[in-house]
Amino acid sequence: MTTLEIGLWAMPVMLALILVRIPIMLAMFAVGVVGQFLILGSWTPMLAQMKNITYSTFSNYSLSVVPMFLLMGQFASRGGMSKSLFQAANHFIGHRRGGLALASIAACGGFGAICGSSLATAATMGQVALPELRQYGYSDRLSTAVLAAGGTLGVLIPPSVVLVIYAILTEQNIAKLFIAAFIPGFLAVLGYMLTVWLMVRFGGETEQRQHRASRAEKWRALQDIWPVLGIFLLVIGGIYMGWFTPTEGAAVGAGATGLVAWLNGGLTWRGIEEAILETAISTAMIFAILLGAALFNSFLAYSRVPFEAAQFVAELGVEPYLVLAIILLAYLVLGCFMDSLSMIILTIPVFFPVFQTLDFGLSPEDAALWFGILVLIVVEVGLITPPVGMNLFVINKLAKDVPLSESFKGVIPFVASDLIRVLILASFPAITLFAVHWLF
Amino acid sequence: MGRIVISHWMEQAARLFALAGGVVLIGLVVLTILSVVGRTINAYGLGPIMGDFELVEHGTAFVVFCALPLCQIRFGHVAVDVLARHFSYIISWLLAMVSQLGLLIMAVLISRQLYLGMMDKLNWGELSFILQLPVWWGYAAAFPASLLWVITAALTCWQTALSLPQRKPLP
Repeated sequence: MTTLEIGLWAMPVMLALILVRIPIMLAMFAVGVVGQFLILGSWTPMLAQMKNITYSTFSNYSLSVVPMFLLMGQFASRGGMSKSLFQAANHFIGHRRGGLALASIAACGGFGAICGSSLATAATMGQVALPELRQYGYSDRLSTAVLAAGGTLGVLIPPSVVLVIYAILTEQNIAKLFIAAFIPGFLAVLGYMLTVWLMVRFGGETEQRQHRASRAEKWRALQDIWPVLGIFLLVIGGIYMGWFTPTEGAAVGAGATGLVAWLNGGLTWRGIEEAILETAISTAMIFAILLGAALFNSFLAYSRVPFEAAQFVAELGVEPYLVLAIILLAYLVLGCFMDSLSMIILTIPVFFPVFQTLDFGLSPEDAALWFGILVLIVVEVGLITPPVGMNLFVINKLAKDVPLSESFKGVIPFVASDLIRVLILASFPAITLFAVHWLF
Repeated sequence: MGRIVISHWMEQAARLFALAGGVVLIGLVVLTILSVVGRTINAYGLGPIMGDFELVEHGTAFVVFCALPLCQIRFGHVAVDVLARHFSYIISWLLAMVSQLGLLIMAVLISRQLYLGMMDKLNWGELSFILQLPVWWGYAAAFPASLLWVITAALTCWQTALSLPQRKPLP
């Protein structure tokens, strides 16, 4: 076998391993290690590399942002901020038809501004909003779907752990990516609200309307959510203004969120302990995959697969949009059974060089930012599609009496809204890039 | 009985390491904030903490290593079970065994190479860039956690193997 053939075989072998439930990090690690042995014909170089690769992967400064953002999300989940966000959203739009469901979406969006993870957003907002939705007579289908879909806003709205990893893998500016994600994230909120409105209007919902909040109530509710807005502006603004690096921004965010949570009385010793343990498990999971990827990618580099694949696509000379569509479709399919971070870490080293050969009439940096946002949206769709829609599982744990199939039916309109958004953003790169060009 | 005690103590040890990592993480958060504040009010004679980036780097490595045993003992590593749900018990068990053995081998390899890497750094006397601290210290701090990872991986292997006779649900 030639070097390239080994590289080409590696992909299907790894996918097969992943499909039979070998942990993703182990599949990448094993294929990377064995592949390198096959190419180099000896274990020695790899063992030498392994003396440092683990420590250097774990002590990479850019990656240190990950545990800090995870900790920030954990503090946010325990800080009572989800409750005040839901309250405030409810006071402003709760009296409309489908008001509580609309408020859930708005609150998820607000929570996404201080939390970089979808699962945490779904779980936290679910605990607050799900009982209310059901109490006010919303159907099981709508109540679970709205929170599962709303949870994806945790990642769609910056800060976002997925974007951080994308930025590191493709060597892009994290601040610019966060800014680029802003308008698409806002569109996501609007799209989901429109979806809720249509579902309530035409789905035969018989929910109870709520009273209209007084001006005093609205004012009070706004006062309760200022810390959320303050933290968001401080973190994103500070990174954008160059006051601090993304890691420093995450540290400031984690510190501020922890402080607010503590002042709210949501952070007892027990709470801190739980936050630490949850952060630890997610951190280990993500870094283990990154370690597997480090070995797998160095094998890929030896095999020259990314280079040859990019070359191959460039020589085909097909319509760039067709290639982009195929890549995005591949993510939608992969998303049916894989989580977003694994997918990104696994595929970006091959897909990104391929994408870079395509000419969309954008500068390389603009193209990379735009691609990042498109990928972000399609991988997040995977969180709410069967058979493995992690967000739905999270919500399902909170409402065990609702059959999962009901929730899957309920998210179909939200998936449609996601796909329409991707189509719009793919057709008009300017929507994504406008804010970046304006601010930088 | 003996088995229950062992897995209980391992779980406690893994928690303890994860908590130690968490305390360091919170320490890094505080350190970074102080450094940012110091840099911002530089004019008043204060400054950023020297070597803050370096401390964050080595601290994060410690945090991650300390988290690995807990993730291992809770079977926390992401896997895809779309197809696997339809396999028979024996096949599922075999695949779970392969996974756990694979993880054990991976843990052993990483732990051993980390140790050798540490010895290299020690022998060469490599110093960190800004603080001029020996780099092997970072490796040495991470090494106990990597050893605990090996032990917990052996335990999860053992637990998986034992679930066969009674057809216990696999993690």
